Amino acid sequence: MSAAAFVVLDAVVLRPMRRNLARTTLAVLAIALGIALGSSIYLINRSAADEISLAARSLYGLADLSVESVGETLQDTLYPSIARLPGVAVASPEIEIEARLADRPRASIKLIGVDAFRYAEMQPAIARTGNDSDVALELLNPSSVFLSATAARELGLSKGEVLNVQVGLRVEPLEIAGVLPANVLRESAGLIDIATAQWKFDRLGRLSRINLRLKSGVSLKQMKSSLQQLQQGQALRITTPGEATDDALRLSRAYRANLTALALVALFTGGFLVYSTQALMALRRRREFAILHALGVTRLQQLWLNLSATAVLGLLGSAIGIALGVLLANVGLRTLGQAVGAGYFSQNAAPVNLHPVEIALFAAVGMLVALAGALRPSLEASKVSTAAALKAGDVLSAYSPANPVALTLAFLLGIAVLLVPPIAGLPLPGYVSIAILLIATVAAMPAFIRAVLKIRPKTNFVAYEIAIAELAGTARYAALSVSAIVVSFSLMVAMAIMVSSFRTSLDEWTQKMLPADLYLRVGYVGQSAHMDESLARSLATLSGVSRIEVSRLSEASLNPELPPVVLIARSFDVDAIEDSLWITAKATARAPDDTTPIWVSEAAADLFDLAAGDLIEMQVGEARLETFVQGLWRDYEHQNGAILIQRDTYTRLNGDRAINTIWFWLSEDASLRSVRDALVANLPPGVQYDIRQPGEIRQLSLRAFDRTFAITYVLEIVAVAIGLFGIAAGISAQVLARRGEFGALRHIGFTRGQIGGMLAIEGSVLGAMGVLAGLAMGVVVSLILIYIVNRQSFHWSMDLHAPVSLLTSLALALVACSALIALLSGRQAMGVDVVRAVKEDW
Amino acid sequence: MLLIDNVAKTFGSQPAREVLSDVSLRICAGQYIAIMGESGSGKSTLLNLIAGLDLPDRGRVIFEGRVLSELDDSQRTILRRAHLGFVFQAFHLLPHLSLERNVGLPLALNGIHGARAQQRIDEILDAVGLSSRRRSMPANLSGGEMQRAAVARALVHRPKLVLADEPTGNLDAESAQEVLALLRIQLKQDGAAGILVTHSPAAAETTDEIFRLHRGRLSASTSVHETI
Repeated sequence: MSAAAFVVLDAVVLRPMRRNLARTTLAVLAIALGIALGSSIYLINRSAADEISLAARSLYGLADLSVESVGETLQDTLYPSIARLPGVAVASPEIEIEARLADRPRASIKLIGVDAFRYAEMQPAIARTGNDSDVALELLNPSSVFLSATAARELGLSKGEVLNVQVGLRVEPLEIAGVLPANVLRESAGLIDIATAQWKFDRLGRLSRINLRLKSGVSLKQMKSSLQQLQQGQALRITTPGEATDDALRLSRAYRANLTALALVALFTGGFLVYSTQALMALRRRREFAILHALGVTRLQQLWLNLSATAVLGLLGSAIGIALGVLLANVGLRTLGQAVGAGYFSQNAAPVNLHPVEIALFAAVGMLVALAGALRPSLEASKVSTAAALKAGDVLSAYSPANPVALTLAFLLGIAVLLVPPIAGLPLPGYVSIAILLIATVAAMPAFIRAVLKIRPKTNFVAYEIAIAELAGTARYAALSVSAIVVSFSLMVAMAIMVSSFRTSLDEWTQKMLPADLYLRVGYVGQSAHMDESLARSLATLSGVSRIEVSRLSEASLNPELPPVVLIARSFDVDAIEDSLWITAKATARAPDDTTPIWVSEAAADLFDLAAGDLIEMQVGEARLETFVQGLWRDYEHQNGAILIQRDTYTRLNGDRAINTIWFWLSEDASLRSVRDALVANLPPGVQYDIRQPGEIRQLSLRAFDRTFAITYVLEIVAVAIGLFGIAAGISAQVLARRGEFGALRHIGFTRGQIGGMLAIEGSVLGAMGVLAGLAMGVVVSLILIYIVNRQSFHWSMDLHAPVSLLTSLALALVACSALIALLSGRQAMGVDVVRAVKEDW
Repeated sequence: MLLIDNVAKTFGSQPAREVLSDVSLRICAGQYIAIMGESGSGKSTLLNLIAGLDLPDRGRVIFEGRVLSELDDSQRTILRRAHLGFVFQAFHLLPHLSLERNVGLPLALNGIHGARAQQRIDEILDAVGLSSRRRSMPANLSGGEMQRAAVARALVHRPKLVLADEPTGNLDAESAQEVLALLRIQLKQDGAAGILVTHSPAAAETTDEIFRLHRGRLSASTSVHETI
C-alpha cells in the first residue's frame, strides 16, 4: 500500500473506527454472536450426526445389508432360508429389546441378543477386546450381559456387578461379564445371547433383524431382489447400513434445522446491526466524504476502502465467533446435552472442533454478512453529492424514500413464497418468507415513521414538539437506529406467540387426553416391561375403582419405505372417543364392514398423506389389515406418528394381550390416596412402574416443554439486547451530529432536564415505532411459524394464543428501555461541552 | 442591568490557561456595545459567563440584580430563557423546524402560545423581511436569510439583552451589513441592550461603544456613535 493510500485509509476508515470504538466493537460482537451460535449449532449437529453414524456402523459391523421386519419383529424361521441364499457369506440374526431397568426409575437399556459366533464374524473387533474371557463363549451364559463402554459409564456399572431388568412385572438379574470398547458397540447398549433374549424376554421365535455380509462379487441389487422373493408372507424392509443411518438422522432433522434457523436469526440481526451502524456512520460523515472527494479521493477508492474495512471487521467477528462457537459447542455437549437437544444429542460426545475448511467457511459467512450489511451504506457514501454535502443543513437531502411499488412487491413476494411446498421435508420457504418480510418491513420503516408522526397528537410541550420534528426530519436516521429493534422484537413477539400457543395447546391437550383419575404405566413402545390382563382385572375390582380402560403400545407400518408408527391399542368406547382424544377431523361415514377403523395422529396423517375417510393397508406384526381412517387427532407425544386402534382388534390380530397402561376412573366417594396405596400394594415389589394423576403428568409435560424451549428465550433476549444497542448507537451518533443544535437550545433557555426529556421522548418514540412495527410483523411471523414452519417441521397443529399481557409488558419495557438508553447515550448533550459546541473557539 | 465584576476564567490544568483575567464591564438598558479581539482572546467565554452557561472561577456576573453564580443551573436557564437572546455565527436554526417554528421557539419556551405568539411571530418576521419564507425549512434559506431568522428568534420574546457572537462571520459583506443594521434597529426599537462579539471593525462600528479583549483583559476603546 502506498503512503498516500494509507493516509486515505487512515482518514476514511481507521480513525473513524477508532473514534467510534464502542459502535465498531458492537458491530464486531454482533457478527461474532451470530457466527458463534451458527458454528456451535453446526458442531453440535455434526457431533450428533457423527455419533449416530458411528453407532450404526458399530451396530452393523461388516454387514452389507440388513433385513428387518416392516412390522414389529421377524419370524426366526426366515433365518435359515436367508442364510442359505447363494451370495450370503454370513447371516447374523439379532433381536433388540428395550429392557426396563428394575431398580432405576424411568430408565431403560437397549439389549441386543446375538448369535455369538455369527456376530463375531460380522464384528471381528470383538475378538480383540482385551477381556479376560472369550466374549463369544461367555455370551452363551444365559445370565451374562456385556455392556458397551457408554452404557457402563452412564449406569455406573462395571464387570461383575448385576444389571436388573424388568420383564413384564418380573425382575431378571443379568451379570455383567465385561465392558465392550466403542469400536465393538458404540451406543449405550448391552449384548446378550440371542436364545437368552428370546427366552427371558418372551420373544421366542422372533427376530428384530438379520445382518448380511455378502460374498465378494455379489451385487446389492441382486441380493435385494432375491430377498424380496423370499418374504414368506412377511413384509420385509431391506436396508444398507447407510440407509439406516439416514433414517436415524431424519428423525432429528427437523429439530436440527430449526436450531440452525435460530442461529441464522442471530446472524441476520447482526447483519442489520452492521447495516445500521455503517449507514449511520455514512450519513453522519457525508460532509467528510465530500471534503475527501473534493481533495481528490475517487469514489471507487472510497467504496473499496469502506468495504475492505468492513470485511476486516467481519473477519474479526468471525474469528471471535468461531472460537466462542467451539467453546459453546463443547460446553453445551458436556453440560446441557439432553436439556437443549430434546434428547437427540449425546451427553457423552467427544470434544468437537472445526476443520480448516469449515473455519474458512464460517469466516467467509461472517465476512459476507458484514459486507452485505455495509454494501448499501458504502455505495451511498461513495455517491454523496459533493456540492450538496458541503452545504450546511444537508441532512434532508440524504433522505431517499423507498419505492412503494418495490415495497409492495416485496411484501407480496414474502407471502407468495409461503405457497411453495416444503423442500426435502424442511420448511425452507417459510423461513425465506420470514426473511423477505422482515427486510421489507425494515425498508418500509422511514415511510412508516413519517406516516405515524404525521398523525401524532400536537401539544404545546416544546421538548416533545422539537423531538418529533427532529424524528420526522431524520426518518432515515431514525429508521436505521430502530431497524435492529424491529427485527429482534418481531422475532421475539413471533416466538412468544408461537411458544405460548404451543404451551397452551399442549396444556389443553394434556387435560383432554387424560380424562381418568389415575394412570398406571409399565413400559413403553417395544420395552420389555408390561402388565397382563389378570392383573388389570384384579386392580379393577379394588375398592374405589369405578371402571378401567387399558392400552398396549406397539408398532405398525403404513409404508415399508418409512419408519413404523406407534400403535396404541386401547379399550375404549368408540362413541365417547372425543372424551379422551383431541379429534381434529372426522370421517362422515362409519368404517365399511370389511375394514378396521383407526384414528390417525396429525403427524402420521402428514407423513403418509392421509385424510379422514381414507382407506389404507396397515401391517401389524405379521398381520396385514385394511383400515379406514375414522378420524385424525392432535398428538404432541409421538412426533413420527401414532395410530389408535381398538384393543380387541389388536389382540385378535396378533394375540398380544400385554398391557402398558391402565386408566382408572374412581367412584365419587373414593379417596385418591387410598386407591393409589391399594394399587401399589397389589403390584409386585422391586419392579418399576409409574402411578400418576393427570395433574402430575401435565406438570411433567409442561416442565419438559419449558426446558426444551429455554434456549429460544436466551436467544430472544440476546436479539433484543442487540436491538437496544442499535438504538443506543443511533442516538449517540445523532447526539454527536447535533451538538451544535443542543448547544443552541441550551443558549435560548432549554434546561438540561428539557434536553434530557427531549432525548427520552425521541428514544421512546423511536422504541415505540420499533415496537409497533415489530409487533405487527411479529404477529405475521408467528402465524407463519405456527401454521407453516411448525406444521411442516413437527406436524403439530396448535391454536393461536397470544400472551397479551406478556407482550404488553415487553413492549412497555422496551419503550422504557429505549427512552433510558437514549437518555444515557445522549448524556453528553446535557454537558457543558455541548454549550461550547455552538462555537469551538474561546 | 449587567455588571461584570473582576471576572476570571481558567481552562485546563496542565498547563492551565487563564482565558479571562479580572474583566469588569457595566452595561445599561438600551446600550449596544462591541467586544473585539483576536481568536482565542476569550470573547465567547465572556459571553458564556454573561449568559450563565458557564461560571467564573473568580469574580461575579450580576444580571438584573442577581448574582449568576448564586443561582443553580435551572434558575440561570429560566433567567436566560426570559431575558436573553442569542445570535450565533453558525445560525443554529433547528434543521427540522420550519422558519416560523424556529423563530417561535423562545415564545413557546416562555409559555406563550396561540394567537398571542402568532401575532408576535408575524410581527418579527415582517420586521426582518421573512414573512414570505415563514414555512421554509432552514436548508432552503440562504445564509443571510438564516441569520435574519436567527435575529428574529433572538428578539421575538423581547429580551433585555441580546448576545451576538460573530453574527456576520459566515456572511458576505452585503448580507452582513443587512443583518447588522437589522440587529441595531430592532435592539433600539425594543430598548434592549446588546453585546456584539466580532473580529470585524466594520461590524463593531455599528455599535455604540467598542471594547477590546486582549490576552484575557478587557479595555475600553473608542465610542463611535452617539446614542440615538
